[in-house]
Amino acid sequence: MAIPDKNEPGSSLLQIQDLNVIYKTDEATVYAVNGISFELGRKETIGLVGETGAGKTTTALAIMRLLPEETGFIKGGEIRFQGEDLVKKSQPDMREIRGAKISMIFQDPMTSLNPIMPVGDQILESLEIHNSENLSKEDLNKRVDELLSLVGILPQRKKDFPHQFSGGMKQRIVIAIALACRPELLIADEPTTALDVTIQAQVLELMRELKEKLGTSMIMITHDLGVVAETCDKVAIMYAGRIVEAGSAEDVFEGEKHHPYTVGLFGSIPNLEEETDRLHPIDGLMPDPTDLPPGCPFHPRCKQCMDICREKMPEFYTSGEHRIACHLYTKGD
Amino acid sequence: MEPLIRTVNLKKYFDVSGGKLHAVDDVNITIPKGKTLGVVGESGCGKSTLGRTVLRLIEPTSGEVYFEGENITKASRGELKELRKKMQIIFQDPFSSLNPRMSVFDLIAEPLVTHHIYKHRADLTDRILELMEEVGLAERYVNSYPHEMDGGRRQRVGVARALALGPEFIVCDEPVSALDVSIQAQILNLLMDLQDNLGLTYMFITHDLSVVKHISDEIAVMYLGQCVEHCPTKELFANPMHPYTKALLSAIPVPKLRKNFTRKIIRGEVSTPIDPKPGCRFASRCDYCQAGCTGSDIPLKEYSPGHYVACPHCVELMEKKE
Repeated sequence: MAIPDKNEPGSSLLQIQDLNVIYKTDEATVYAVNGISFELGRKETIGLVGETGAGKTTTALAIMRLLPEETGFIKGGEIRFQGEDLVKKSQPDMREIRGAKISMIFQDPMTSLNPIMPVGDQILESLEIHNSENLSKEDLNKRVDELLSLVGILPQRKKDFPHQFSGGMKQRIVIAIALACRPELLIADEPTTALDVTIQAQVLELMRELKEKLGTSMIMITHDLGVVAETCDKVAIMYAGRIVEAGSAEDVFEGEKHHPYTVGLFGSIPNLEEETDRLHPIDGLMPDPTDLPPGCPFHPRCKQCMDICREKMPEFYTSGEHRIACHLYTKGD
Repeated sequence: MEPLIRTVNLKKYFDVSGGKLHAVDDVNITIPKGKTLGVVGESGCGKSTLGRTVLRLIEPTSGEVYFEGENITKASRGELKELRKKMQIIFQDPFSSLNPRMSVFDLIAEPLVTHHIYKHRADLTDRILELMEEVGLAERYVNSYPHEMDGGRRQRVGVARALALGPEFIVCDEPVSALDVSIQAQILNLLMDLQDNLGLTYMFITHDLSVVKHISDEIAVMYLGQCVEHCPTKELFANPMHPYTKALLSAIPVPKLRKNFTRKIIRGEVSTPIDPKPGCRFASRCDYCQAGCTGSDIPLKEYSPGHYVACPHCVELMEKKE
């Protein structure tokens, strides 16, 4: 397979086509991801935004093929990474890719590090597993030192254990592990949600710098539109396992047309720059993913709901890169 | 007029293996009746300890708390029980603050039963249904258990419990941090409506500056157990004076594309609260730290009416900027 030139920004790295994921239990089937499609180019960052249960993390786990074995199933669709469909890969093949070409940063640095292993050894672990160049132990240890200084931690501290670091430092170590093998794609699942704002600012800055330096593409999963505005080139807003609106950051933050859910999401955030007396939340709750409503999944909460919304899932209205799945904009067609 | 809540040199030190952990160190705050004081700060700055010490859920090490002009730090158990009717708290996590084996009815009834408010079961039921309506919980949830409800509804139960005894003062300890944004907005609106209707006074503890801006009349910014800036909300956002407040404001990600925005990132991390050295506790991270910043504690000083700042150089810093 011909691999496109690595250095060409924008050339496609990941294409997801009509991905469906379910969780099957004895009691019910959870429709977690229902036909999402998006594309990510080299050196680009896409933000997956949505509330709890929107399917963001499930999408990430599907890309990593880390869905729980007994219950989580990819029910259709393609995940093309560098032209190859990851859905069809065997687990041994995936083990080669995971950590080396695609790596993931989890939300909570307190639980994603091994508490009884020095942090240096935890970075070394992934270097040893993916040691394709057969470097000596000495060289690998040098690489650990480099990685630690890259994320702003003194290499002398590599013998320390996770509990000896603060939350922000732990997340830096997690980032060092994720970047150890210079992956092409980094999936960051709420990387700063567990951190304080000033530390969040430091970590986001670090991630931005490293992305520039290493040319990594990134999927940023978050519920915080502020974080998205600062880090992402593209945005996909998710609701009940579907992408309801997607486009460039400019389209979503500054465009004229929006999905009513996007409008609701922005209306729910207290604005720091303007005076508002009341917030404009979205009434009601996320639908039950075991029993999704017919038609548009957002219609029970939508203020602009029409008859057709209750029956038919809307197609995408598109304008350039900007896609909106809403009957408000497609009814004229 | 006497404010509803006033603390005088309130201190709470915890004994830990390394010495004394200064969780709340010499905090003086006042909350006028019917107003909201927002207490902001990062984890470990002592904001929750402050809230609990004000309610005497934690005994202060020294200092006084006045409720309606009365010193409650010395109140006896019996007096405290009466006071509890007037001061309540809403906790952060509606998962762990509600007993999973109690139904919504029992949860809301608990404070009313503890204080023997009603003689007849029918009156109790009426009051519970009234409270549920007040907080926007449909009657059909009355026999539900916490695990059957989502976070937003559970937090509404938490609010109903706090309201049950008709309090005057409620400490809201990060009441919306565990909720999704759209649900968070619903609860914030509810809290503001209740304040308008019932004339409640809030102490609103949060790490989220945009939430605190929305709900508070005045804001106290805390850093390592001390209040470093205290002023009306509008003033704080228009005219932040303490270097820490400025850094905190700059650190918030805003949901807008800001092309030429450069953030002032503060270096380092919060230093240890165990036996801190005298002097400004932010000094080690502050870009403007000068000789006078360490060595002796820096008191809050009123720089303009109602605007208190604990930084001797904040005025020069303002001028330098302009």
